[in-house]
Amino acid sequence: MSRQPEDRNNELRALFFESAAELLQSLNEAGLELEARPSDEEVIRRVRRIVHTLKGDSAACGLHKLSELAHELEDVLTPQVTGIHGKEVPEVVLAAADSFDAMLAAYQKNAKLPSMSALHAMIRRLLQAPGAAAGSVPDVAQAPGQFAWTEYEQLMISEAVHRGDPVYNIALRIDPNSLMRAAAFQLIRNVLHGSGTVIALRPEDNVAAATIVVVEAALASPQSEEKLLHRCRIPSIVSEVHIEKITASQMPEHELLGDLLEAQAAKVVADGAQGIESDRAAKRTNAGSAAVAVAESTLRVDAARIDAVMNLVGELIIGKSMLNRTLTEFDKQHARDPVRAKLADAMAFQARILDELHKCVLKIRMVPVEQLFRRFPRIVRDVAKTCGKDVALEISGQNTDLDKGILDALAEPLMHLVRNAVDHGVGSAEERLSAGKPARGTVYLNAYHQGTQVVIEVRDDGRGIDLALVRARAVQKGIVKAEEAQRLSDQDALNLIFESGFSTATEVTEVSGRGIGMDVVRTVMERLKGTIHVGSQKGRGTTFQLRVPLTLASIQTLLFRVGGRLFAVPLSSVVEITRITDHEIHKVDQREVLRLREQILTLVRLNHLSRLRSIDSQPAKKKNFVIVIGAAEKRFGLVVDSLVGEEELVIKALPGEIVSSDLVSGASILGDGTVVLILNVPAILSRLSRATPLGAIA
Amino acid sequence: MKQFAALLRKDNQPVRYLVVDDSVFARKNLIKMIEMFGGELAGEAGDGLTAIAEYNRIKPDIVLMDITMPQMEGIEAVERIVRQHAEARIVMVSSVGYQENILAALQKGAKHFVQKPVKPEVLYEILRYVLSDDPNATGAPVALAGESRS
Repeated sequence: MSRQPEDRNNELRALFFESAAELLQSLNEAGLELEARPSDEEVIRRVRRIVHTLKGDSAACGLHKLSELAHELEDVLTPQVTGIHGKEVPEVVLAAADSFDAMLAAYQKNAKLPSMSALHAMIRRLLQAPGAAAGSVPDVAQAPGQFAWTEYEQLMISEAVHRGDPVYNIALRIDPNSLMRAAAFQLIRNVLHGSGTVIALRPEDNVAAATIVVVEAALASPQSEEKLLHRCRIPSIVSEVHIEKITASQMPEHELLGDLLEAQAAKVVADGAQGIESDRAAKRTNAGSAAVAVAESTLRVDAARIDAVMNLVGELIIGKSMLNRTLTEFDKQHARDPVRAKLADAMAFQARILDELHKCVLKIRMVPVEQLFRRFPRIVRDVAKTCGKDVALEISGQNTDLDKGILDALAEPLMHLVRNAVDHGVGSAEERLSAGKPARGTVYLNAYHQGTQVVIEVRDDGRGIDLALVRARAVQKGIVKAEEAQRLSDQDALNLIFESGFSTATEVTEVSGRGIGMDVVRTVMERLKGTIHVGSQKGRGTTFQLRVPLTLASIQTLLFRVGGRLFAVPLSSVVEITRITDHEIHKVDQREVLRLREQILTLVRLNHLSRLRSIDSQPAKKKNFVIVIGAAEKRFGLVVDSLVGEEELVIKALPGEIVSSDLVSGASILGDGTVVLILNVPAILSRLSRATPLGAIA
Repeated sequence: MKQFAALLRKDNQPVRYLVVDDSVFARKNLIKMIEMFGGELAGEAGDGLTAIAEYNRIKPDIVLMDITMPQMEGIEAVERIVRQHAEARIVMVSSVGYQENILAALQKGAKHFVQKPVKPEVLYEILRYVLSDDPNATGAPVALAGESRS
């Protein structure tokens, strides 16, 4: 083997950590499944496979402690051990997943490895318990040899037997450590064909090679059973051989029609007994091969490369609108030129392709939210266990696609919300029973598309948020004054939980409620240009609704002018647009407000708010447009001179030294080269709340 | 170092090996193992073409054949050797990633395969198995139905 250069090694390591994270995720999932069905051998095998892969990979990367631990765990995962300790094995598997995780983290940071003695002890206890032999034991219960031949094959066998040819049923188990099962299968076929006439063979050729465990054959051979046994014990390929000679007595007297009828009858009987089982097996095989196919057609690509493509597509879109403008000018000057139509056609064609390209590139960044949701079954289980509650998690909409970057950023807030839902939302069993609900609480996790946004909901069926408690707490924490608290509408009071330093949990638990939390969630949502909404019904439960844009790379915006300058706000934060006359504006606390359908709306004028000095103050107009903007449960009205229209903008980040104001989150270029500044809605909101008491911004 | 009982031919002569690999290091590694098994290195080759010529010249008992080589790949060399010498015992030596190629080589008549990095105890068992091959055994290797035969 040739030596590998350092950077190649690093690349391998990075790949290992990435795939190990996925393995751990699968291990967690399989562990939970094992907890639900401790005697399901298929699940045990899956756990074992995952651990085995982890063992191999970590050994190859030189992480020997991890590899050793995985090896020890593998020994526990035999039907013997799980048969006796069905309850404890899932616990060990989940604990091991956590330990692996801790070890990986330590390896990654080059830190000292955490102590694994607790886990070692758990594993040892299971292995030393009576009935379980240490080390891997051949799988006796699952001895190969079903030999479920078709009627035709049975006919062939009985014919050969009656002719006097020795016929053997042979089952060979492929070495569980074999990494090349397809090649192993081919070699077994070679050996069988080299030893006699193969009458029947399972699996048949078209089975996905990676899933082959046992090969079964009916072989007519002049060789002795002993010799065949020797031929079939193929080193490094076959771990177990089972041979039985088919004798004439086992076969009914040969008579073609009679045989067929009998076989038919046998099949009917067998169908009743085995039909379900073989059906299930077939499904598994199908699922397996589908999974293989998916894995093979998936590429891992550095996110930076996709971003680069994205950026270029953005430039192309700008280029397209430049061309469009030029074409319009050309139109005016050469209205009768036949080239004009050709140009327009070519432009339309290009625009369509570009649109398609844009969509495709966006789609590359999209991943199903399942990638995030799949962590939660384990989290809910752990949190519920810590709190001594019985909580089910129901997940839906996991196929909803969302930008990978946004999804990753949502992990933390969502984690917090789900923990909260289990810890505080779902009440204790006694409380629930006395409220006439089932003892088992349920947390719902849902995702769906709505327009250009994705909505993710966390709902619990618990007691709901106690508004009186929220008000009292907010006053106690000095977030609002007592009389203000009473004035707030229920929804506004509910929104107090997003203020920093707020926590309603009467006791600080290990799981959640250290006083941080909801305000962090809100901050993340603002960074993502999303919103959070909380709804609660006393006794019925609480729902948190997170809304995020599909992607951050480009946004639908509303363009408007203030003092001759062009600005844009994300369309997703525009609630409505209204026209007002000057006399509708009132002054309260040196602040302009508007009464809009019985709601007080603070008005903002860009030229007042910021030091955008060059904006000339135009002579006061009689009529103004007000764009009502909402973000994270707060609203304000933006007074603008004129509306320009909707436009999809590709966001260009602005370096800090160019823009000193945080009121602008980015810029974009229109087709005619005009620069548009995109307003940073959360920043404007926070500036407003610093200057005014909270109640006024509602 | 682990001791192995010598692997001998039926006539009690040392087994004669042809080692084919484009990497000199890999060849040396295999030759060292062969010597541990009491075998005799009859010839070496760094590519498939040379391997065929060497086979015809020395008629070895066992060929250890790499899959990927310059000039002529292992699979083609296997095919050509087996076409002329049906009795040839060829063991493929390859890494896990080349399963397809190994599959093809097995269809062309290779007797066994061993995974790189080669472990002496594994190779020993495989050689013992391949050498115990009954020359009277009937039948030729078959290709999987539906697989390409190119």
